[in-house]
Order: sequence, then structure tokens, then C-alpha cells
Amino acid sequence: MSVSAVAPRRKRLSEGLTVTQKVFVRSRNGGATKIVREHYLRSDIPCLSRSCTKCQDIVVPDAQNNLPKFVLSESPQVLPKPIGKHYVVLDTNIVLQAIDLLENPDCFFDVIVPQIVLDEVRNRSYPVYTRLRTLCRDSDDKKRFVVFHNEFSENTFVERKKDETINDRNDRAIRKTCKWYANHLKEYGISVILVTNDRLNRNAATSDDDIITKSLFQYVDLLPNSNEIKDLIPNLEAANEANTKEEDKEDISEFNFSEYYPTARIMGGLKNGVLYQGNIQISEYNFLEGSVSIPGFSKPVLIVGEKNLNRAFNGDQVVIELLPQTEWKAPSTIALDSEHFNVNDNPDAQDEDEPSNATSIISDTQRRLLAKDAIQAQKAKKVQPTARVVAIPRRSWRQYVGQIAPNSVDLQTGGTQNVFVILMDKCLPKIRIRTRRAKELLDKRIVISVDSWPTTHKYPLGHFVRDLGGIETAQAETEALLLEHDVEYRPFSKKVLECLPAEGHEWKAPEVLTDPVEIAKDPLLVRRKDLRDKLICSIDPPGCVDIDDALHAKRLPNGNWEVGVHIADVTHFVKPGTALDAEGASRGTSVYLVDKRIDMLPMLLGTDLCSLKPYVDRFAFSVLWELDENADIVNVDFTKSVIKSREAFSYEQAQLRIDDASQTDDLTQGMRALLQLSIKLKQKRLDAGALNLASPEVKVHMDSETSDPGEVEIKKLLATNSLVEEFMLLANISVARKIYDAFPQTAMLRRHAAPPSTNFELLNEMLHQRKNMSISLESSKALADSLDRCEDPKDPYFNTLVRIMSTRCMMAAQYFYSGAYSYPDFKHYGLAVDIYTHFTSPIRRFCDVVAHRQLAGAIGYEPLDLSHRDKNKMDMICRNINRKHRNAQFAGRASIEYYVGQVMRNNESTETGYVIKVFNNGIVVLVPKFGVEGLIRLENLTNDSNGAHFDEVEFKLTFTQKDSGKERVIYVFDKVEVQVKSVLDPVTSKRKAELLLK
Amino acid sequence: MSRLEIYSPEGLRLDGRRWNELRRFECSINTHSHASDGSSYLEQGNNKVITLVKGPKEPTLRSQMDTEKAILKISVNITQFSKFERSKSSHKNERRVLEMQTALIRTFEKNVMLNIYPRTLIDIEVHVLQQDGGIMGSLINGITLALIDAGIAMYDYISGVSIGLYDTTPLLDVNSLEENAMSSVTLGVVGKSEKLSLLLVEDKIPLDRLETVLAIGIAGAHRVRDLMDEELRKHAEKRVANASSK
Ligand SMILES: [Zn+2]
Repeated sequence: MSVSAVAPRRKRLSEGLTVTQKVFVRSRNGGATKIVREHYLRSDIPCLSRSCTKCQDIVVPDAQNNLPKFVLSESPQVLPKPIGKHYVVLDTNIVLQAIDLLENPDCFFDVIVPQIVLDEVRNRSYPVYTRLRTLCRDSDDKKRFVVFHNEFSENTFVERKKDETINDRNDRAIRKTCKWYANHLKEYGISVILVTNDRLNRNAATSDDDIITKSLFQYVDLLPNSNEIKDLIPNLEAANEANTKEEDKEDISEFNFSEYYPTARIMGGLKNGVLYQGNIQISEYNFLEGSVSIPGFSKPVLIVGEKNLNRAFNGDQVVIELLPQTEWKAPSTIALDSEHFNVNDNPDAQDEDEPSNATSIISDTQRRLLAKDAIQAQKAKKVQPTARVVAIPRRSWRQYVGQIAPNSVDLQTGGTQNVFVILMDKCLPKIRIRTRRAKELLDKRIVISVDSWPTTHKYPLGHFVRDLGGIETAQAETEALLLEHDVEYRPFSKKVLECLPAEGHEWKAPEVLTDPVEIAKDPLLVRRKDLRDKLICSIDPPGCVDIDDALHAKRLPNGNWEVGVHIADVTHFVKPGTALDAEGASRGTSVYLVDKRIDMLPMLLGTDLCSLKPYVDRFAFSVLWELDENADIVNVDFTKSVIKSREAFSYEQAQLRIDDASQTDDLTQGMRALLQLSIKLKQKRLDAGALNLASPEVKVHMDSETSDPGEVEIKKLLATNSLVEEFMLLANISVARKIYDAFPQTAMLRRHAAPPSTNFELLNEMLHQRKNMSISLESSKALADSLDRCEDPKDPYFNTLVRIMSTRCMMAAQYFYSGAYSYPDFKHYGLAVDIYTHFTSPIRRFCDVVAHRQLAGAIGYEPLDLSHRDKNKMDMICRNINRKHRNAQFAGRASIEYYVGQVMRNNESTETGYVIKVFNNGIVVLVPKFGVEGLIRLENLTNDSNGAHFDEVEFKLTFTQKDSGKERVIYVFDKVEVQVKSVLDPVTSKRKAELLLK
Repeated sequence: MSRLEIYSPEGLRLDGRRWNELRRFECSINTHSHASDGSSYLEQGNNKVITLVKGPKEPTLRSQMDTEKAILKISVNITQFSKFERSKSSHKNERRVLEMQTALIRTFEKNVMLNIYPRTLIDIEVHVLQQDGGIMGSLINGITLALIDAGIAMYDYISGVSIGLYDTTPLLDVNSLEENAMSSVTLGVVGKSEKLSLLLVEDKIPLDRLETVLAIGIAGAHRVRDLMDEELRKHAEKRVANASSK
């Protein structure tokens, strides 16, 4: 046998395929491991240019038998000579710094992303990677982004040279890609520009390789619409290198943050236990105070002051180092918001002729406040460990909405200037941006993006992204609200709309379910039950267009009732793994604002094909029970079905129909039976300890002509509301049991944990002190009963008030997959059931979509998709929908708050309010009529702040009244008359309810 | 964890292969002619396996004797240096290894003509020098080659390969990165037929996807069979040439 020599570095396998080994060193936990992986090089990777005739012959289809799409245009954008028609190749730094600009519809067309860049981006920032991938996927005809797998193409693969760093090797790989493209496309008259902000890479490109290369700034400068685009260029010291000659010598500053620790030190520190890692939470009341929860510490670690915060943003992942025990303190009791702090700072603060008195005054205020704090802490002995931030491994930066601080704008000078942007989120610092359009953008809500925060800058640097419109215009405020709550509101993409049935609104359910033609189209049709003979109707709020559910009831010969709940069969149209499914999963829920609805699924499905509209045949997923006279379940069955709703009622219409004794038809009889059964169901639920909590829900009436907000109304409840609700709860519970039975590890469920007793401590103390009442926390039943006992015979609203305050002490319900908790923890505390899910609103909630698919799998209708059988994937789905659900709620509330503010703006009035909190420097009053609450500061209650007396035990504040000079005592739960008016804060441009005690 | 592009939208896998491509496959037989009656060395991607066959021989223990047919014994030795990080244990009596041995015996029992070697023992040792995913398939291929080298009668080749399922795309001949990221199936296919002598399913595979997975797996196994056949014929020609030149 001949012994072959050392294995060749590349080995030819077959025509067009060679293999090599990729060798690298991975360090983990301090150790180093040599990793060897195979790396295949191929000759069938196309350039994807439409003008190319060579690559058409080499492409091969993928597993779905699709050929790659040639996307890059044959007539790309023309730049001034000598460039002409061109494609762009991006470097990693451009993607990371300017992804917003890449997404801009007015620049960057025909872009090639080398695979190595994609890999680097993915390692540095996964969200940016996702955006870049989306851009490549969705930009077929408009933006035309492609990924070129340079690492796998034998034409462009480069081997790492001896002593070459990995970064240099990757840069060389990018240049090789540019060079290959330039040669490859030369005959079609298309040139290739490498855009990079890395000067060394640019130099190497021009000197060794003769590639056309530009910095981002230089490239944008070449564009015909460069003036509009320039403002959008990220504000980075590095990116500004093109105009360093200009006045930008602002780095000489006395203000300096400490540098972050190098990675090696952090790794070592975390391992040795001298450094800790966690997510920072900036206090809602004081933007200069953050806290980090660390396992092993009973209390969160405090981080106080901007030096210690060291440029951390709310939500960043930070590494912290503890401060000596002498510097430990209690959390601050003083409210401090970034909006009204340092208002006089100059965006060009480093100008020589400007004495920095503003800064020194501020530091004094700051110091005084801190000193006050320290004293208080010592008195209270509530010290907590403090720490400082030494590194930020992951930033939570996203796009933010804000407005330009008017006093930071120089109205005299035109041209580019530095201005401050104050963000809507008051936990965040203001951002410095450079713009030419400062004057124009005053009084506008704008979107900005944060780029960097160098140690020499007091404020982070960002750049302008876009303008949403004037402050307090409905459109701008709505959009701002959606952006701030991370609600995806853009129209559905083409890819998503392509998943809808081709027939559009013409789609019809088959007349006959046994029709062989129809069965050929949909083989599952045979498993559907025909329920079109049932007298089904739907009951919803007036004006409802997305009808998720419908009901029917029929007396059985044995005297029991057949009751059916029929839910829109959304999963017939939304198949797993499609773009439509991915979009729904990512949106997670529909969002309801006062004047707008943001759908989870396209309109065609939500309001037509899935919506269980009356008089037409619709597909449904039905839960059919046999209930006895006591509403106990005798039998339950689940089936996909075809139904025909006889009528769509509003709650009020349904109530009228039931109450109208002259109606004796079968439909009305069925509704009456449903009502009777629902009353029994409700009673059983309440007996089991279900809670009846309240939140100050209000509704804003819009003038139908001008769509201006008219009046505010507190939501009313009718018996028919709870009719529908009871059966939906019953359906959800039945489905939850069924899917848990079929998929014990991955069933999609919803739980609600019991509140810890500490949550109720303060409320109980107040109730005990003031009213001699208490709330029992032994069980949900005990809680419900004790809430019923909290009655004030003189004031019927008092009970509701206690319920509102109790709601705030409860835990939030959450979606989870059954493998994540043990069975006893599945409990839904509020509903007092052992297991629960959401099944009844698949048009507007993604949880329900998953539950539908799992139920379909459980009854053998169709096999369940792998993604709903995999714990990891279910975990990702649950996390996302929990977050989206919370955001949607906040967005909805913020929208109501905004419109209530608009209503109050027009009519200042005196209303009844209730004192719900008493502090030593003010009282918090809730006004039920508007559902608003506000702090009335001590300064606004009395002229003599020092004479006021706060009694912590009795929740009592005593002070001399402002106008009359008489002494007044305010206790918690007091009913007071307040003057309500809405004021616009001049700095934040946010409208707040201002309350004044009468 | 799986923040890798296991299968990119452009249809390429982590190592640059397409969905239906095998890894580099190289093999040779009669590599350890002094130490055994039949031997093979196989590289399938970065899997490296030595197989030694001893027998048919008289068993040393009476308990290893069957008057009707030969007894097949397979022991798998996974070396401590076979992965990137040296393992501390010798893997000898690990449950996983014992299961592999049993599965391999089942795979070959029906295909080796054991009945023509009664009262004997066929002892197979497999040494895994390096592993990089889909190791079961490589073991099957190594054993097939060594058995043929030993001249033991078999009905046909058995060729092995693992197939992963990434969302809806089956990926042929998975490496360790892919194997860790998805569920996979290992097939042992008899000759050029569609008969399976082994079907090993790790984790769950939806029933409705199994057919496409099997289809690509069988095609891949046939390709492996052809590569082994090619090598064997080359080897045989060389031997014939050596013999005739003497
Ligand atoms: Zn080409």
C-alpha cells in the first residue's frame, strides 16, 4: 500500500465541488480548543445579476425544486462618471451602523451582501441580522438586496495567511468578492462600489486591488438625492471623518465617562465572582438611578448617578462592580426626570466662549439631592448595595420617538447644527443629533436612532430617521405610540398577501361537502361536519367586523341541551411555515387603539373569510357540549365544521330580543336557554372563587364626521356580555384539557399565579386603618368573598375602588407551554380553574391559532406541525406573544389616555375623585369619570409646605388650605372634588391631566 | 443557541453543501492485514473509523457457540480523543454505546449468511478515531467493507447514512453541528433495494415528512454503496494485477 503524502489542502470531489478544512481556535471558559470543520467550495454560486448570461447555466434547484431568483437589475442606478451603472457591496460596519439607511426606500438599490459580512453581522447583533435578512427576502423588485456566498464559492474563497488576523482575512475576502464581481460584470458595463467606513480596508482596496471604494458619507454624497439622505447618516465619530476639517473639534471636554473594561478582564471578573452581569432597570421616577437584580442578592443592586451608570440605557445588559460598603444607600425618594433636568445644556457644550456654568449649577443641584438622599437613607437604615457599570455587553438600543428640544436650536444659523432630542420615554437621556432641518422639525414628533456614546460625550449621539408629523396631530401621535410600544403597523408585505386564497373576497365554502371536485382540492373536507342546519348567531360589541365566535343551543330529546361554540377557522387559511404564519406569530395580537385597529392577520381573513358573518357559509372549529339543566357537562366533542350564522347581534340587540316576550321562534328560545345556562355557569364559577375585579375602563366616543374625540364614557356591561363570556371561558377550559391530554409537554396554555401576600400589604393596612376592613388572601374564594364585604353603605363606588386597587396588586396572567410548569402551577387564579388556554379569538390572538392547530392534531384532523411540538420553539412563541400582549395593552391604554387628554383639553371641569395614595409631599387622586389619576403636589395644596404634617400610620396629610387658610385633613379613600384640566408640558410636549383640589 | 444559518435561504448548509449532497467519502480495505482477517479504514466527512473483523473462528467460550449458525459480536470503541474536547470516560459501558452495538448486530444479523458458519464466532471491532455527526452510518459502512474484506458471505452491501429534517427540508448526511440542531434519522439500506435493515429515529420526526426523508436517505445510501463498490473493484483489480505479475 502506498502511503499518500500529506493530505492536500484542497481536494477535488467531483465536478465543481472541492473540500478543504477550516481550522480555528475556540476559547471557552478560559480553555482553548482547536476546531476543525469541513468546508466545501463550489462553482455553482451565481452572481444573481439579471444581465449576466454566464450564471444562468450553473444554477441548481433547492430542496423545493426552486431555482435561485436573479434579482440585481440590468439597469441599476447611474452615478456620475467614471462610475456609471453600479452595484454596491457592503462592509460589516455599514450594516451595523446604518441599517436604517439601508432600509430607506430612496437609496441603496442593487446591493450585494457578502456572506462573510452577514456572518459578522449575525455575531455582532442578531436583530440587525434579522433586519438585513428580511431586506434580502422582501426586496425583490424595489431594493434588490442579495446575499453572495463568497465563502463557499471557489472563485472568491480566500485562505487565511500566516500571521494574518481574522479581521484582515475577512476584509480581504470582501475585497476579493468585489474584485470578482467587478471582473465578472465588466462586459455588461456595470461597476461595483465597496462601501465601508473602515479606512484601512478602503486604502487596501484602492492600492492593491484597484476596487472603487467609498465611505458611507462619500457614497451618499454621490447620490442624486444626497441632500435628503445626508441627515439620516449615523452620527459616529468615525463616519464623520470626511468632514473632520470642519468645526467638529468638540472632543476636548472636561466631561469624561470611564472606559469600559476590556473583554478579557470582564470574562475573568465574571468567572471569579468580582463582577456581575444583569439587565439594568432605570427607575421610573429618577432617571439617574438604576437597579440590577442579581441572583444571590436579596435586594436589587442600586446604581446611582450618571458616572456610575456609565452610559447605560434602560434595559441594557450590563456588567457591574460593587462599590465599597460605605457608599451603599437606600433608593431615592425624590422624583427626577430627564426632561426637566439639565434643560439648559448646550448641544455644542464644548464651545470655548460658552462658560460651562450650566453644567456646574446642575452638578450642585445634583449633589444636594444626593446628599439629602444619603441622610434619609441613614435615617431609614434601608441601605442597599450600590455598584457601577463597567461594561455593556448588549445594548437595548432601538429606534426612539421624541422631539427636538426647542431651546437647543439656534434659529439664526441655517445649515447643519447639533440639537437635543428629548425622548418620549422619560427613563432615557436626551440624544444629540446633527441635522440641517432643525428649524423645520421643531414641533414635530420625530424618530431617531442612537448610534454611539463615546466617553467624551455627556449625551449619546444619534441621527434623525424620519418625521412623523406635528405634535398633537392624531396621526403623528398614533404612530409615535405604536413605535414606542413596538407594534408592527406597516402594511402586510407582498409575500404575506400571496399566502391568501387566490379567490379573494370571492372565496366560498363548498356547497356540498361530499363534492369530489372540492375534496380533490381539499382532502380534509371529508373530516368536516356540516352544521349549517343549526340555528347559530353571534353576539358582539356594536360595529364589530371581525367576528371570532358564534353560538347555538338546542333542546335534546332527553331534556338536556346541546350547546355549540363555533370559532372562526383561521388555521384553515393560516398554514404553519408560511410567510403569513410567520407574520402572525411575530405580531402576536391585534392592537386596538381608540381610532385605529392594527390587525394581526390581513383584512381579507379577519373581516371576511374567517369572520363568522351572518347569512353566509363559513368554516369554523366547533366545540359541542351536552349540558344538563344545571349546566354540568355531560359530554364534549370537538370538530371542524361548516356553519351558517342566522344573525349577528350587538349586545344590546341580543338583550332586547331576549327580553321581548313576543318573540318565540327557535333562535330566540335558544338564546334564552344560553342566557339561563350562562347564569348558572357564572354562579358556579363565582362559587369556586373566581374573582370579579375592576379596572377604570373608559371608552372614548368619536364624532363620526370629524373623528374628533367627543365624550368619555365608562363601559357598561349587559347580561348578554356575560352570556358570551361564560361560554367562551367554558370552551377555553374544555380545549385546554383536550390539548394538554394530547400534548402533555407542549400544549399552549395560559396561567395566572396567585398574588404574593406582600403585594396586598399596603392596601390591607390602609383598609384596616381607615375602614376596619381587610382582604383575605387564603384562597381566591376568600379573596373574592372579602372583596364583596368591602362595601361602604354611603358610597356604592367604594367597592369598585377597592377592586381597582386590588387589580393592581395581582400578578399578570401569562402564556406558557405545558412543559414549562408542573400541573399545580397551571392554575388560573383569577378564573379559579386548574387549566386554561385561549382558543376563542384566533383572528386577533396568536395563542388561539396555536391552540387551534393543537386541537386539530388532538382530534386527528391533521397532523400537528413540528414547530408546535418542540419545546424550544414553543418557548420562543410564548415569550413573544407575552411581550406583544403586554405591549398591546400598554398601547391601548396610552391611546385612551391621549384621547381623554384631548377631550379634557376642551372642557375643564370639576369632578369627583378618590384619594388612593398619600405621600409626605402630595396625594394621588383617581377620577373615575375619565379613568385618570394624578399627583397633586404639596406646593399646590398649601402655601406653607413646612407646616404640613404627614402621618404614615394613619395615611393622613394635614395642611393649611391655600385659599381659605383653614386647616384641612386628607385621608386615603377620601372622596374629594377636584378641578381637572389637561396641560401640555412645554418641554416634553406630552399632555398630562393636572388636578387641583377644590 | 441555534443562531446559525443551518440552511440558508440560498439553499446552502453550514459547510457549503446543498441539501442532497454527501460529505467527502473515502475508504480503503485490507488496511490491517496482520491484525485481522478483514479490515477497513473509512473517512466520511470528518468521521474516521477503523474496523477489524476476526473470524469466523472457534469461540473461546462455550457460551459463544451455536450449533446452527455463527455468532456475531460487535464492539464499538469510541476513543477519548474522537471529539474536539477530550472526554474523561472511556465510553466503554455507556448505555449509548451498548445500544449502538445492539443496533449494529441487528442490522447485520439478517444480512450475513451466519448459517453457513455454524459453531463459529465472527468478532468485529470498530474504533472511532474521530467523529463529526452521523456516526452510526459510518459504522455500518466500515463494517460492510471489513466483512467483505474478510470474505464473509453476505447477501448484499449495507450502506448507512443519516438524514436530518430542518423545518421541511431534509438534509442528507448530517455533520455534528447539524445533528445537534435538529432531529435526524439513520438508515441502513440493503444494496440497491429499498429494503431497510436499520431505521433509527432520534427525537421526533413528523410522520408526514418521513417519506421525503426516507426517499433522499435511500438515494444517498445507494450513492454510498456505489462509492464503496468502486473502491472494492479498484482494490480487487490491483490484487489481481499483483498476483498475475508474480
Ligand atoms: Zn454571473
